[in-house]
Amino acid sequence: MEIYILVKQVPDPEAIVKVKSDSELEIENKYFTNFFDEIAIEAGLKLREKFGGKVTVLTVDNKKVDALRRGIAMGADDAIQITDPALEGSDQFAIAKALAAYLKDKPFGLILAGRQAMDDDAGIVGPAVAELLGIPHVNTIIGLEINDPKKEVKVIREVEGGKEILSCSLPALFTCQKGLNNPRIPQVMNVMKAMKTQIKKIDLAALGLSVADAGSQAAKIKVQKYLSPPKRPPVKMIKEDFPENVKALVKLLREEAKVI
Amino acid sequence: MKFTILDCQFSIDFLKPGILKNYKLEIVNRKSQIGEEHIMSNEIWVFAEQQEGKVRKVAFELLSAGAELSKKTGSQVAAILLGSGLQEAVKSLIPFADKIYLMDDPAFASYTSDAYLINMAPLIKEHQPSILLGGATSTGKDLFPRLATHLQTGYAPDCTGLAMKENGKLVAKRPLYGGKVFAEMTFSEARPQMATVRNNTFLVNQNINKSAQVISISSHTDPSSLKKKVLGLEKAAGTKLDITEAEIVVAGGRGIKAPENFKMIEELSDVLNASVGTTRATVDEGWRDQKDQIGKSGKNISAKLYMAFGISGAIHHVLGIGTCKTVVAVDTDPNALIFNYADYGIVGDLFQIVPALTEELKKAMKE
Repeated sequence: MEIYILVKQVPDPEAIVKVKSDSELEIENKYFTNFFDEIAIEAGLKLREKFGGKVTVLTVDNKKVDALRRGIAMGADDAIQITDPALEGSDQFAIAKALAAYLKDKPFGLILAGRQAMDDDAGIVGPAVAELLGIPHVNTIIGLEINDPKKEVKVIREVEGGKEILSCSLPALFTCQKGLNNPRIPQVMNVMKAMKTQIKKIDLAALGLSVADAGSQAAKIKVQKYLSPPKRPPVKMIKEDFPENVKALVKLLREEAKVI
Repeated sequence: MKFTILDCQFSIDFLKPGILKNYKLEIVNRKSQIGEEHIMSNEIWVFAEQQEGKVRKVAFELLSAGAELSKKTGSQVAAILLGSGLQEAVKSLIPFADKIYLMDDPAFASYTSDAYLINMAPLIKEHQPSILLGGATSTGKDLFPRLATHLQTGYAPDCTGLAMKENGKLVAKRPLYGGKVFAEMTFSEARPQMATVRNNTFLVNQNINKSAQVISISSHTDPSSLKKKVLGLEKAAGTKLDITEAEIVVAGGRGIKAPENFKMIEELSDVLNASVGTTRATVDEGWRDQKDQIGKSGKNISAKLYMAFGISGAIHHVLGIGTCKTVVAVDTDPNALIFNYADYGIVGDLFQIVPALTEELKKAMKE
C-alpha cells in the first residue's frame, strides 16, 4: 500500500510567540515536528509493516524540512518538499491545493495527516486535500483497523460524549489524534541517515499550478491584525486558613465573579 | 455500547473534481450576466448541529450572535438543520431564527461529511448567504473545512469572537499557537464567509422572540453509495457534557496522587453540574481518559468557571484554558505556575479543600 503523510515543522509548544506588529509575529527559533503528524507517521509505518508498500512524507515549506527528516528517521521511505517563492503568504486552502496537485496522479492507498498543526491550529489542510482529491476523510481518529486495503476499513473517531465507529472505503484521508498510537523514537543511526537523505524538491510549475494559485493574492482568509491575548487581572490569593479559605472562595465566586 | 446501523445511499457526484469545475464556470457566467450583488443574499446562516434530535447549545449561542451581527446589516438570520425526526429541534429553533432550512430525512440520522456536504452545498449555492457559522465541535471541524474547499470560499476555524463591519464583512477572531497570540481574520470576496466558533463564546439570548419560517427541503437521494458510513456510537459512561461544552469544568492533575482520588473531584463536579477535566500527565499515566485532557495535545475549553486542583500549570495545560472566564487554582506549591493564570488561588492541601468545598457549595446552591 502506498501511504502519504502530510507533515509540518511547527514552533515547539514551549517556544515564545509574541506580537511584533499588527502584521508580524516574533517566533522563538525552537521548532519540532508537529506532535499529531508524528502520530500519523507512526500509523503509516505500522501499516507498511503489515501490508508492505511505501511511506512518503510530504511537506509544503520553503525553509523548514526537519519534519521530513524526522519522518525519514522514523522509517519513511521517501521525503518530498513542495517549495516555491510564490507560496509565501499562502493560506491553508492554497497549501491544500499544492498538496492535492502533487498527490492527484500518485497511486495512494491512504493519506494521513495530524489532527491539526500546532501553529495555526486550523485543521483545514487535511479535509481540504481530501475534498480536492474527491476521496473520503475522517477527522481526529483514535482507532484504525485495516484487514484488507481493498475492502472497507474500520475507523474510530473522537466525538463529544463518546467514540464514533465508522466504516470507510479506501483510498481515504484520515487525520490522527493523540491516542491512536505512541510514535516511535528514531534510532541514532537512522537520525544520521536522515540528515544525509536527499529531499526531493518540487515547485508549483512542476505541479501544473501557476503563481496565481498561491500566495496572499489567492488567499481566502487573511490576518488583518495580530493581537496579544487578553491579560487576566492579577491573581487574588485567598490567604485565610482552612476552612475559612473555602468559605471565602465560595463567596467570591458567588458575589464577585458571579459564576455560580 | 449502543449501535445504530444505517443504510444510507447517496450520490457522491458532488465530490468528483470534474463537477466542481463545471460549477465554477456556471457562477462566473451568472456573475457576468446579473452582477455580483444580485446573486448574494446577505443572510447569516447558522449550522444548527443536533445530536439525536436535540440542537446543540452552541447553535443557540451562534443564532444569538447572528441576531446581534445582523443589526449592522439588517440581514435575516437562518438556521440550517439536518437530521432525522426533527420536530422538537425545529420547535426549539423557531424563536431564534427568521428562517429554518430543514432537511429531515432518516439518511441524516448520523452525521457524515459526504451526506451533509452533498445536500448543503447546492442549497448554499442557491441562496448565497453572506455568512455561515457553526460550532467548533467534532462535527463542525470535520464538515466546515471540506465544505469551504468545495464552495471555494474562506473559512476561519475555532474562533473566539466575531464582529461585523457595515459593509457586511465579517471579522473573525481566533487564537493561534495554542492561544499565545490571537488574529483577526478577514475573508476574500467569496461567499459565504465561514467560521466555526468555540462553545460558550457567546451567551444564549432568550429574548430574541423571532418566529422562523420553516423551509423544508427534500434531500438528494441518488442511489449510488456513500464512501463512509457510521456503524455506531460508543457512548462514554455517565451523562456529563463534553469538557468543551460544559459551562463549569473542574480538573485534577498529578497532585491528585492516585486515579481513585478523582472520586472527590467527581463529587465536586456533581454539585456544580460540571464536567471533569484533567492534564496530560494523568492521561499518560492511564488514570483518566484522553477525551478529558485539557491543553495543547488535548482540548481547548472556554468554560465560565474552571477550577484546577493539583495542577502545576505547565504551558501545555494553560494554553487550553486561555479563554475560560474565571479560573480558580488550588495547589500546595505557592510558586506553581498555574497561579499566574488564575483569578483566585488557594495554597493548600486539595485533599482537605475539595471535600470542604463540595460541602460548602452544597449549602450555597440550596440558598
